[in-house]
Amino acid sequence: MLEKIKEIIVNYVEVNPDEITEESRFIEDIGLNSYDFMCMLGDIETEFDISVDESEIVNIRTVGEAIAYFESLKG
Amino acid sequence: MKELNVNGAVMKCYPLCAAQKLHNYTIRFCPSQVLCIGTGLYVQQEVDFGLLKRAIYKAYEMFETMRLRFIEDENGEVYQYITPFEERDIPLCDFSDRNEEDAHNEMRKWTALPFARYNSPMNQVIMIKLPNGYNGIYLKVDHMTMDSSSIIGFNRAVLEIYCSMRYGTEMPKPMKSYIKQLEKDLAYEADSPARKRDEKFWKEEIERDEPMYTDFSGQGRLLTQRRENNNPDQKWAMVVSRSPEASISVYSLEKDASMRLVKFCELYHVPMASLLLMGLRTVLSKFNDNEEDVSVKTCIARRGTLSEKYSGGTRIHFFPMRTIMKPEMTFLDGIHMIQAEQNKIFRHADYDPIELNIKRGQYWKLKPGASYESISLTYQPLTMNDNTKEMPDIPYKSMWYTNGVAGQPLYLTVMHRPEDNGLNFNFEYRKDAVTEYEMQYFYYYLCRVLFRGIEDKDRTIGEILEMI
Repeated sequence: MLEKIKEIIVNYVEVNPDEITEESRFIEDIGLNSYDFMCMLGDIETEFDISVDESEIVNIRTVGEAIAYFESLKG
Repeated sequence: MKELNVNGAVMKCYPLCAAQKLHNYTIRFCPSQVLCIGTGLYVQQEVDFGLLKRAIYKAYEMFETMRLRFIEDENGEVYQYITPFEERDIPLCDFSDRNEEDAHNEMRKWTALPFARYNSPMNQVIMIKLPNGYNGIYLKVDHMTMDSSSIIGFNRAVLEIYCSMRYGTEMPKPMKSYIKQLEKDLAYEADSPARKRDEKFWKEEIERDEPMYTDFSGQGRLLTQRRENNNPDQKWAMVVSRSPEASISVYSLEKDASMRLVKFCELYHVPMASLLLMGLRTVLSKFNDNEEDVSVKTCIARRGTLSEKYSGGTRIHFFPMRTIMKPEMTFLDGIHMIQAEQNKIFRHADYDPIELNIKRGQYWKLKPGASYESISLTYQPLTMNDNTKEMPDIPYKSMWYTNGVAGQPLYLTVMHRPEDNGLNFNFEYRKDAVTEYEMQYFYYYLCRVLFRGIEDKDRTIGEILEMI
């Protein structure tokens, strides 16, 4: 899932995908803003056929936390 | 897309996207409206104007939307097309022997002059010499072709190209295609599943229950209109006017104070726009008898992907953002509520804001020109500073010039100053609706709310309303 998320992230910000790890923070390290992040979620929903809850993603800060949340939605 | 004859040549012409229709709608229904935005970018050094002219032409070549024009078809429908590269005259205007304020006033006058709407350029660049050793460019664009993100991008590109030619620094990266992005937007608008999903969301938002109008100058406007309409329960107010004359007041928040706001956002992981909206809605509550139900218009730049960020054009959509907050709620919880609301809006921000406005008006039986929002907020995080590039350390300043008219009573744009990253609060207000004194008063309370809030995140809204 990490590789797919990296592919999606590089459509939003100019970042070297090799530097993105599960510890990377979306805002501070990768440079996404909140609009980028919400749009990116739309791409992730389409890619993994899941539906995220906006109130639950407010506390997600890192790529790893996002992966754990998306995995939980996939069951 | 359709092919139309433009001065004897057949051109590919595209319909307007929703963001452009908003401006076109304004022009149709308020012919005295002017859609021009004027900006100035000045560096404090001697400028080689021959080189600068070449840099501007190069930037024209890079930015498709600097070559965007409009045309009406046989049915009166407006279409757009891109002209091939053209070298328009770029004159030099020398204000160096005049007072600087006179120079800026002159440029405000230029900004108030509209462009011819069809088959004609929709922007103008003039090279400027100001007093005190500042030199640079004045740029006027039609808002249907570019928004503030595009304008900042163009000005930044001119500066980077000029520095590259003069000092050998890095050239700006190529732009993305405006037309490809437009085609994506038009595909969304053509009854796509994504549009249907957004329509459902906004329908539910509209039908939730009726919002309450809160005015930036207090309850007077609503109470008067309730009396005039003999309707004590009226929740909306007429906000449009036949007298669109406008002015701008700019208040600069000191660098240190601005950084306190920035640090608060970093510490609690909240967007600056959410903090500003929290300040704004709390002042509106204060000025309207501590009303808990407050709505403002929030501006969404709609530039997520790199293709959106670097395709130029005009993409801004305004949406109503409503929050109902009890006095017991803490300042930080209020910001979180706004952040969650913003996130919801972001997910549905491609929807046509005019269509939303019309549907809301029909549902709540509003008169044309009535609204629940008295103020629009835009937070512009982009500045001329691009920290990713090595640039010569040249002092520079930027200016935004009013075009002298406004449809809505009050637009607040908060931007970072290029020289110190401090915040400027630009209040553009319609003179028949607001006085400069009222603006100062509003700004004063806005700052009081923001700083009372950030000094103690657990302070409740009720406590803040009492304190200020």
